[in-house]
Amino acid sequence: MTAQTVWRKPPFIKSPAVRWVVYIAVAVYVIGTIATLPIDWERTAEGLTRAQRIFSGAFPPSFERSGLLISGFMESLKIAILATTLGMILSVPLAFMAARNISPKPVYLFGRGTFILARSFHPVIVAIIFVKAVGFGPLAGALTLTVYSIGFVAKLLAERIEEIDFGQVEAMRSVGASFFSTMIYAILPQIMPRLVGLGIYQLDSNLRASAVVGIVGAGGIGATLANAFGRYDYDFALAITMVIVGAILISEAVSGMIRKRMT
Amino acid sequence: MTQTLTHEWARFTPVQRMKRYVALLAVTLIVVWALGSIDVIWEWVWDAPIQLVDLFARMVPPDPTNLPSILEATWQTINIATIATMIAVVLSLPVAYISAQNTTPNVVCLWIGRFILVSSRSVNTIIWALLFVAIFGPGIIAGIIAIMFRSIGFLGKLLGEAIEEIDHAPVEALEACGASRFKVVIYGIVPQVMPAFFAISILRWDINLRESTVLGLVGAGGIGIILQGAIDTFQWQEVSMVLLTILTLVIAGEVISSALRKKLL
Amino acid sequence: MLEIKNLVKSYGKGTPVLKDLNLSVQGEQLMSIIGSSGAGKSTLLRCVNRLVEPTSGSITLNGTDFTTLGAKELRKARRRIGMVFQSFNLVDRLSVMENVQSGRLGYISTWAAVTRRYPSEDIERAFELMERVGIAQYADKRADELSGGERQRVGVVRALMQRPEILLADEPTASLDPKTSEQIMSLLRDLARELNLPVIINIHNVTEAKEYSDRIVGMRYGRIIFDDKPAALAAAQMDEIYAGTPSEDRQEMGAIA
Repeated sequence: MTAQTVWRKPPFIKSPAVRWVVYIAVAVYVIGTIATLPIDWERTAEGLTRAQRIFSGAFPPSFERSGLLISGFMESLKIAILATTLGMILSVPLAFMAARNISPKPVYLFGRGTFILARSFHPVIVAIIFVKAVGFGPLAGALTLTVYSIGFVAKLLAERIEEIDFGQVEAMRSVGASFFSTMIYAILPQIMPRLVGLGIYQLDSNLRASAVVGIVGAGGIGATLANAFGRYDYDFALAITMVIVGAILISEAVSGMIRKRMT
Repeated sequence: MTQTLTHEWARFTPVQRMKRYVALLAVTLIVVWALGSIDVIWEWVWDAPIQLVDLFARMVPPDPTNLPSILEATWQTINIATIATMIAVVLSLPVAYISAQNTTPNVVCLWIGRFILVSSRSVNTIIWALLFVAIFGPGIIAGIIAIMFRSIGFLGKLLGEAIEEIDHAPVEALEACGASRFKVVIYGIVPQVMPAFFAISILRWDINLRESTVLGLVGAGGIGIILQGAIDTFQWQEVSMVLLTILTLVIAGEVISSALRKKLL
Repeated sequence: MLEIKNLVKSYGKGTPVLKDLNLSVQGEQLMSIIGSSGAGKSTLLRCVNRLVEPTSGSITLNGTDFTTLGAKELRKARRRIGMVFQSFNLVDRLSVMENVQSGRLGYISTWAAVTRRYPSEDIERAFELMERVGIAQYADKRADELSGGERQRVGVVRALMQRPEILLADEPTASLDPKTSEQIMSLLRDLARELNLPVIINIHNVTEAKEYSDRIVGMRYGRIIFDDKPAALAAAQMDEIYAGTPSEDRQEMGAIA
């Protein structure tokens, strides 16, 4: 028997035909798109000098108009609080509707469809729609983030409901409890921890998002930021950004702590 | 003689009850404060459902006349997301390496890595886009770089966590053979984080697809530009056409990414 | 030949785990180190290739003092010591061949390592060794698809691929069932003879130690208190080594007992 002296690692994609097709397709895509991307290279080259101008204008950050900063931030905070509250209230029934093990098929499809729709559109787009519908200001922002919250919380809650120990529900049914009592005794206790955790997480999430929806007029500090950029007030813009980042960090730390306490 | 025993039972001790009431009170107060002090014109709130219905009525049926340019812009959007994610994935590797406690060369690198990750994650993609539009002018270059900047933080953090969770045993064995640091990484660490790496990258691509759809609203390219144009000119039927396209794109993205994840894992 | 002189290892200010150890291992032999948990067996073994840093003392392998080596020389020197681990320590997701070739990582170029283009002599030797231990048919299989005994054999081949001057085995059979454990022990003994290799094994199964070793070293509280042929290990010496350890905990049962 001749000694084997050559060894190659078996390739990830077994069939050579498929492998080469994939390689070539990827190469064509990457080269093709980069070549045809409509990039204004001159403007891009100028960008570095502009960047330098912007950054020198941005330091040091200016907190002169801190009144505006604070009121904008407060508004974002309120939007986040209200959106989380309303979003959670609406998510619970929706999650029950979208749970395969509880709802009949048409209700289930309706529930699933609702939050798939809610999740598919970026909050900025939803914000624009709401702004057009109910006017500028924090109302549009709160409605937008409510939709955003529902898309996230209802989906995860529905998944949690689908994972519950059904034996407890069975036990309630066997004692003859009504549907409502069964829910309160058998289902709610199992999903409560998840619900609270999601609520805290979503509050943090909404705080981040509320900074952004303001850019399209839905209230909060985003509007202040967009204005600052528009007026080339880069030092103010930096101040605003620092506040936003600081708030996000604090909120992330707090929500992490609370959730750790709970588990 | 019978002795009667009285049993009392309450679900919570008095102390627990107090705590629950206080917590509930606090939450209610916060919500009421937010509700009360927010700058909202309440007449508009009650008007809102009617306005929404009116808006939807005006958006139906969707208008396909501009479909070719919509589709071209959609293709641009896909490209922005894909190219930016690819570059970000490559760039996030060293950042993840230095941010993981078990692979970072020294404390300075660890803090640099963490700083990069935190600043990248805390600034929303749109805000990055604002900055880069100011620097590079409107166009997709601003969009691509904005998505890159945001994605590096997301990818780096999750990848760093995956690196921290590896089994140290194979690494020990490779060190005992006398392999260099680089080879230990290639043979001991990379194979262990491969599944997580793919899952995280595919997830981020999916999210970036969504983010790219709105970049145009601040001038950073993609389908957002057409959307903004249609909204500004009140062409609601074109708006709904664009929204339908975005919806299809996002759903297709989710289908593709879950198929890819199943294939690779 | 391995020469350990005045080896001390302490963690912080507490009692040292290894106290002034002296040990000398020459030529082809299979040496077993026995002792209760905490006696310092594992620490001793890991000090030899400095996976654990000795606090003081010297460890010399064929003229090279390991304790004084800088990082780069240490890596080079580690190539000369093969190690087999209790939990096999394989890279689960890689194939058996890659795991086996990773023993050569101290010798092959980075390019070869990354692209898996191993030198033909290495591949030939790998197949030879894998045939010898009976795993050649698994060359392309992922390491985690193998059974425990097969995985440990991969570990043994990996160590042997280094062409080491000495083989260290840290409780190589602790995670295996009794029958497989016997197979690995007799494999190590046979390889020691065939390759003229000194083999040091940490083991807690005294019966296996006596059956397969040429020499037994007993440790207790960081010191060597027994160093002789297996035949000299009687109940009295065992009591000293495991003093305080109830006889149920002394692993004296094996498949052949």
